[in-house]
Amino acid sequence: MTQKRRWLTSVAALGVAMASLTACGGSAGSGAQADGGRGPITFASGKDLTGSMPKLIDEWNQLHPDQKVTFIELSASPDEQRNSFVQDLQAKSDKYDVMWDDVVWTSEFAAHGWLEPLDPAKVAGSDVLPAAVDSATYNGKVYGAPFMTNAGLLYYRADLVPKPPTTWAELEADCAVAKAHNMDCYAGQFAQYEGLTVNAAEAINSAGGSFLSPDGKTVTVDSPQSRAGLQHLVEMFKNGDINPAGVTYQEQQSADAFLGGKALFLRNWPYVYTNANADDSQIKGKFGMTTLLGQSGSGTSSLGGIDLGVSAFSKHKETAKDWVAWMQSQSSQKTVVSVMNQASVLKSLYTDPELVKASPYLPELQKSLLSATPRPKTPNYNAVSLAIQKNSYEALQGKISVDQAITQMAADLKQAIQ
Amino acid sequence: MSIRHEEIQAPPSRTRRIKASTSRHSDGRLAFWLILPAIVILTIIMGYPVVSSIVRSLFGDTLGEAVPFVGLANYIDVLFGNDSGTFWGSAGTTYFFAVVTVSLETLIGLAMALIMNKAFRGRGLLRASVLVPWAIPTAVTAVLWKWSFDPVGIINSLTGAHIVWTGSEWPSKIAIVIADTWKTAPFVALLILAGLQVIPDDVYEAAKIDGANAMQRFRLITLPLVRPALLVAILFRVLDALRMYDLPAIFTHGANDTTTLSILVVQSTLSQLKPGVGGALSTLTFLFIFITAFAFVKVLGVDAVGADEKTKTKEVTT
Repeated sequence: MTQKRRWLTSVAALGVAMASLTACGGSAGSGAQADGGRGPITFASGKDLTGSMPKLIDEWNQLHPDQKVTFIELSASPDEQRNSFVQDLQAKSDKYDVMWDDVVWTSEFAAHGWLEPLDPAKVAGSDVLPAAVDSATYNGKVYGAPFMTNAGLLYYRADLVPKPPTTWAELEADCAVAKAHNMDCYAGQFAQYEGLTVNAAEAINSAGGSFLSPDGKTVTVDSPQSRAGLQHLVEMFKNGDINPAGVTYQEQQSADAFLGGKALFLRNWPYVYTNANADDSQIKGKFGMTTLLGQSGSGTSSLGGIDLGVSAFSKHKETAKDWVAWMQSQSSQKTVVSVMNQASVLKSLYTDPELVKASPYLPELQKSLLSATPRPKTPNYNAVSLAIQKNSYEALQGKISVDQAITQMAADLKQAIQ
Repeated sequence: MSIRHEEIQAPPSRTRRIKASTSRHSDGRLAFWLILPAIVILTIIMGYPVVSSIVRSLFGDTLGEAVPFVGLANYIDVLFGNDSGTFWGSAGTTYFFAVVTVSLETLIGLAMALIMNKAFRGRGLLRASVLVPWAIPTAVTAVLWKWSFDPVGIINSLTGAHIVWTGSEWPSKIAIVIADTWKTAPFVALLILAGLQVIPDDVYEAAKIDGANAMQRFRLITLPLVRPALLVAILFRVLDALRMYDLPAIFTHGANDTTTLSILVVQSTLSQLKPGVGGALSTLTFLFIFITAFAFVKVLGVDAVGADEKTKTKEVTT
């Protein structure tokens, strides 16, 4: 009998413990309303490598003591950042009031109803780069405040190619210089991952091709222009201007090839400048940067970057909206350029003499940004990107012809946007 | 299944021996209360996700608040739809990896176990060091091997080859097989070693006296007696290999025909936010693994258990 009693007691205790746990979970959900949507919020970003995010947040917190921002630092990997967001958004949690969204997620999050539409007058003003605004726009509404942007640049060895090429054909002609010096001519990101989508999209866009219609509802890739664009890259692999190992290159490997003096040209993001210009760099003072190339002049870069999105489940949306606009202000954006070493979304900062002195590539970058196009805008971005990667990868390997690749890509894209 | 059955039965039988006076009825109740917490926890952490993923797989993936019930449409789409080639291709890749890696791991593991079973100086050190690859998380192993298989990595520079390992189909597959075998052969070795250690020495001595040579002793004594442990090791490995994810995901992101079923599941559920299709894919993967395990136990396992019991009864009667 006593034994039975003891068992019952412990089971009851367990039950009480569990009940209290659930009670805790319940009470956390019921926050106070009727505060005009203002109050403390959270802001989640990818890993902050420069340590300047807390400083920006402190500045805001001092100005708005009753609407403090709490910083949540996520993983350095974009995929993991997205997983964190998606998990909480699917559960309609208000854990993240403001999210740091890669430009390619904005449409997807907006389509799921996870983002609050923002006032274009506040976050898409005339000084904001048009391509960045475009990337944050879905179905005619702005769902994110462009915060950082990014475009590809063509790095070249100024000591070997004194006059940089201005068209793709000129670049191909310069490959003779690479051969003479026993180097690879061109390096980019051609492993099967998001970087290949970026590179293939640049080749295809620069040749006048496209993937989807502006509304994201029709597949437009099946065109002679797309074929010509992909053909450029395939040719360069075929005749050895791109190293066969190029099909395994991501950003770092391709940068290493250029920094190690093994490649004449490199397509990469502006960040490589810092490494190339470092005192221990093999190529310090021997390289230049220009825009990507197309058939007759500058090419079209894919647009990278970050939009700040306000969660549809946030309890303090008004504060969140003010915060994202403040993060886009001149003073915050100066921190983005000078401390975080990222590209600002404000046009005016590209001609700021002080900033240009520290980062001499800014004028070229602005040119690249002004002609950049967002990657295909669709709620099914990841499926679209996979279709682009898979088919262009097999074409680069020579497994299938360019014609087959584009035909198959069109079929896969149709499937992907359904 | 038989293993779990024994485990559950074990505690009451032991208590019975200690407290012979307690009635069978209250013994059963005690056992029930003892295993209740485990069952509750398992139901919560394993049962719920499995059931909810199966339920989810019966619904569509359209955007918006309410997702429509679509019955088995996701399954039909995966198995016979436009994209069915991807599914069957991945299934083939997954089984290819399972067959090749498990065969290699069994052979190498058996050899390692035989060596470790010999008494020699430094045996403890060897056993510990053999386990190191198994102790390293697979993702870390994958990164390590990815560096080694880099076009300018250590493997190419040691062999003088110029192979772009992760850049085309067969080199990628070979690289994945090597990395997986390196990592899990020690695990197989350890399971087999446990089986080897219960073989009594006198059986070998008797065989020696009867004039059996080393090969005969291995074939007629070691192999049959270690068979139950060997089969358990193979079964574990097959189940594990059919879920392979980390190595191909890190080596190639699934390029070069190395997309396994688990990679497909992650792609559709997490990356493409299609939990309906993802649920169908993971349920199908589960079914594939279940059928494989079931067939394995039916064809080899049941026989092993039977043979095992026969030898036991023989031992008892003699």
